[in-house]
Amino acid sequence: MLRLPAVRRTLAGVTQSSKVCGRTTATAASNQIEVFVDGHPVLVNPGTTVLQACEKAGIQIPRFCYHDRLSVAGNCRMCLVEIEKAPKPVAACAMPVMKGWNILTNSEKSRKAREGVMEFLLANHPLDCPICDQGGECDLQDQSMMFGSDRSRFREGKRAVEDKNIGPLVKTIMTRCIQCTRCIRFASEVAGVDDLGTTGRGNDMQVGTYVEKMFMSELSGNIIDICPVGALTSKPYAFTARPWETRKVESIDVLDAVGSNIVVSTRTGEVMRILPRLHEDINEEWISDKTRFAYDGLKRQRLTQPMIKNEKGLFVYASWEDVLTRVAGVLQAVKGKEVAAIVGGLVDAEALIALKDLLNRVNCDTLCTEEVFPTAGAGTDLRSNYLLNTKIAGVEEADVLLLVGTNPRFEAPLFNARIRKSWLHNDLQVALVGSPVNLTYTYDHLGESPQILQDIASGKHAFSKVLDQAKKPMVVVGSTALQRSDGAAIHAAVSTIAQNARTKSGVGSDWKVMNILHRVASQVAALDLGFKPGVEAIRKNPPKVLYLLGADSGCITRQDLPKDCFIIYQGHHGDVGAPMADVILPGAAYTEKAATYVNTEGRAQQTRVAVTPPGMAREDWRIIRAVSELAGMTLPYENLDEVRKRLEEVSPNLVRYDDVEEANYFSQANELSKLVKQQLLADPLVPPQLTIKDFYMTDSISRASQTMAKCVKAVVEGAHAVEEPASC
Amino acid sequence: MAVAGRGAVSAAVKPIFSRDLGEAKRRVRELYRAWYREVPNTVHLYQLDITVKQGRNKVREMFLKNANVTDPRVIDMLVIKGKMDLQETIHVWKQRTHIMRYFHETETPRPKDFLSKFYAGHDP
Amino acid sequence: MCLRVFITDFLPTPKKPLSHLRSKTMSAETLVLGIHRVNDLKTGTLIGTDKYGNKYYEDKRNFFGRHRWVIYTTEMNGKNTFWEVDGSMVPPEWHRWLHSMTDDPPTTHPPVARKFIWENHKFNLSGTPGQYVPYSTTRKKIQEWIPPTTASK
Repeated sequence: MLRLPAVRRTLAGVTQSSKVCGRTTATAASNQIEVFVDGHPVLVNPGTTVLQACEKAGIQIPRFCYHDRLSVAGNCRMCLVEIEKAPKPVAACAMPVMKGWNILTNSEKSRKAREGVMEFLLANHPLDCPICDQGGECDLQDQSMMFGSDRSRFREGKRAVEDKNIGPLVKTIMTRCIQCTRCIRFASEVAGVDDLGTTGRGNDMQVGTYVEKMFMSELSGNIIDICPVGALTSKPYAFTARPWETRKVESIDVLDAVGSNIVVSTRTGEVMRILPRLHEDINEEWISDKTRFAYDGLKRQRLTQPMIKNEKGLFVYASWEDVLTRVAGVLQAVKGKEVAAIVGGLVDAEALIALKDLLNRVNCDTLCTEEVFPTAGAGTDLRSNYLLNTKIAGVEEADVLLLVGTNPRFEAPLFNARIRKSWLHNDLQVALVGSPVNLTYTYDHLGESPQILQDIASGKHAFSKVLDQAKKPMVVVGSTALQRSDGAAIHAAVSTIAQNARTKSGVGSDWKVMNILHRVASQVAALDLGFKPGVEAIRKNPPKVLYLLGADSGCITRQDLPKDCFIIYQGHHGDVGAPMADVILPGAAYTEKAATYVNTEGRAQQTRVAVTPPGMAREDWRIIRAVSELAGMTLPYENLDEVRKRLEEVSPNLVRYDDVEEANYFSQANELSKLVKQQLLADPLVPPQLTIKDFYMTDSISRASQTMAKCVKAVVEGAHAVEEPASC
Repeated sequence: MAVAGRGAVSAAVKPIFSRDLGEAKRRVRELYRAWYREVPNTVHLYQLDITVKQGRNKVREMFLKNANVTDPRVIDMLVIKGKMDLQETIHVWKQRTHIMRYFHETETPRPKDFLSKFYAGHDP
Repeated sequence: MCLRVFITDFLPTPKKPLSHLRSKTMSAETLVLGIHRVNDLKTGTLIGTDKYGNKYYEDKRNFFGRHRWVIYTTEMNGKNTFWEVDGSMVPPEWHRWLHSMTDDPPTTHPPVARKFIWENHKFNLSGTPGQYVPYSTTRKKIQEWIPPTTASK
């Protein structure tokens, strides 16, 4: 049982909690004990392991099975070190230090122990580094160079293990496995899917899924990263590049609203793979499978040349001069309400501000986002109304969490991983209003109807007591719940619940209760810049000219618009928006531009250029700037710095990178929300992504990805359906 | 070393050739004359498609480019470089294209304003 | 360029009377245009004309290699070839004769009919937009969106 009851956990050892829950405060300095690492004194908290004490002294002990974010297994034995006056070497990762110990990390005995362990590990490890995808970033390779013996005494045969098919993302070469069990611990602790385990013992021990099945988790790609050897490697990346050949660019993921930090590896102007980058407040060191594997969507269905629809209704390729003059001419001929714009979910803040500035110059204010958000009450005027105010890392402090109409597991997989972490280690109590979904942790299902929210708000429901008694309550409402016709009423109800919980729990004003979980990366920046959420205004008042900026969710179709409406599509994929346009302007995807994105917490982060936009595609804000010049309303910026200066003028938080601007005025927002005269409907709250099948393809990039299509097929038909002939 | 030669000590800076500005100017004039005399020869030798007048105007332009230099040491350096260039020209260590490079005939100017940069490519 | 006119061609020789020059194939107009087009003036017997109008001459008095020549037609395959002549305007059967692979012109020895012989001779397309370009055997790095081929709107 992973989740220990509260009492037992406190007894079971400070070893785990002090380490795993990084947010628990350090004990007072007076309790610290002194140990020696190679003679140098170090002060550590009681319960610290030998390995951590050495880390504190700046000495890395070799390890395979130990991982900071997973429980301690202590089975690889690589971390054996000598303790002075101890009879035997001890496993550093599992042994808590005692007062006055002298840890000898580089003594003869320690080195001999490591060398012996390495010899045993290599006895059953194949010598296939030249054809192994882990080559160059392999812990075993590196450590055998550092600590292994320089010659072999091996004369016997090697063990071989059958490979398992665990889906289209992770390739297994199980002969290389050294049974560190990191993947098993990751699956059961972080991903919450108890699919992996070991069978057999001794020499016959194998890691696998017991029965032939797919490792069905939205975080499955992370086991590739934590595998210290080449047993688990990436299937789409197999045999394509070596780590020393690639250029790494530190960037931001935009396929969900979490804004995971990523490293984009490129070679010869092509994205080879995407890896996670450490950010303790957002994604720790994990990323979701969509983030990691949807990159092949960046190479398919791309718009690479400007296009114009001719008289026959067919697209013909055109030059930038032609299309820009055309667009500029069209924009010059219209005024005010005759023109409108819709922005999609992958658009960056620079393009948003450029588009807004351009259309404001023709007296137009019908700039909409595809994602709906209720505007009644305070609406989007108060920033706290549309942010995940508690922040993603804030879940680790909360003790009661109410989820409303959302499935965070697929809408924001890393936020869900945080909830699970808090549930596991801090006894977080979770309740859910909405469709019952598998969230990988237990929760109280309060029901599906939004009427329940009314009951909780008025204190009639049993759960309102739980909220009132909570020390740090949290309410998270999914953005889709607010997109129903009674969205404003739901927002008002949730706001009241949050406000009540906040006042009654007596938590200080720096703790925020109300949270909105967005699904698309552009939404917060768009709302910060004053875009109108939802396309209702366009539907009511059909324009003559419609500017679609990466709008691919199909919320407006040709049928909603007058016959002669001129549609401009600017974006990077030929998906839903492009075919209905009259003019197509090819833009850049998130790996191809330096751009600002604001995640659901309101944290501005910037992507960086990893590859150049394909063909004649250009950065989005530059296209809009070029149109403005040809239309005779030149926007006052020519380079990125000037655009960002303009962004700062409009909303300074957009350029304070990696900084979460606190939003407040909850009580005022709540007062305003009471003005909302809307009835809650009886329809159940159903988030759009119920099962893992709905997770993979949600936007124009992941819809173009073949890997993601394979995942959907594998989930529906089983992993064998997408089996590829083994190339190795 | 160079920092030491500041203020009153600056007179102690070791000259390259010329002890004062007048002497440096004389060297410049000498070099100019040499170039001036060499231009017709160069036009003939390299079969350049320019007139002697155009060549001499170019020489003049190159000299005037550094008209604002007043430090004798810098002037001396420039004269040395000019002499090396002249020698290369006289001995035909150069080829036509190297001479014609002074005229920037085949260079396309880099785009300056936003729109031409936009049309030209991704990051000009 | 220097205009080479073989004066000897115009002088009466025992073998070849001057009247040969004034034959019906050589009017004053063709003479002037001929000098303009080929920078040369040659006399010889007209061996034959192909279906496109290219005229093939022979004059054994010239040394080998100069003894057969072609005066190209002024319009071939719909292209004005008065000034823009091209070696590939010669069809293969005349090519053999012209390059002395054989002494039998196709007028007397027509080529054996084969089904692979072109009905209409084509030019060499090298250097034109219609030239053959080997297809790429490497994978495309970016696959672009193909717009729908059915008309909309």
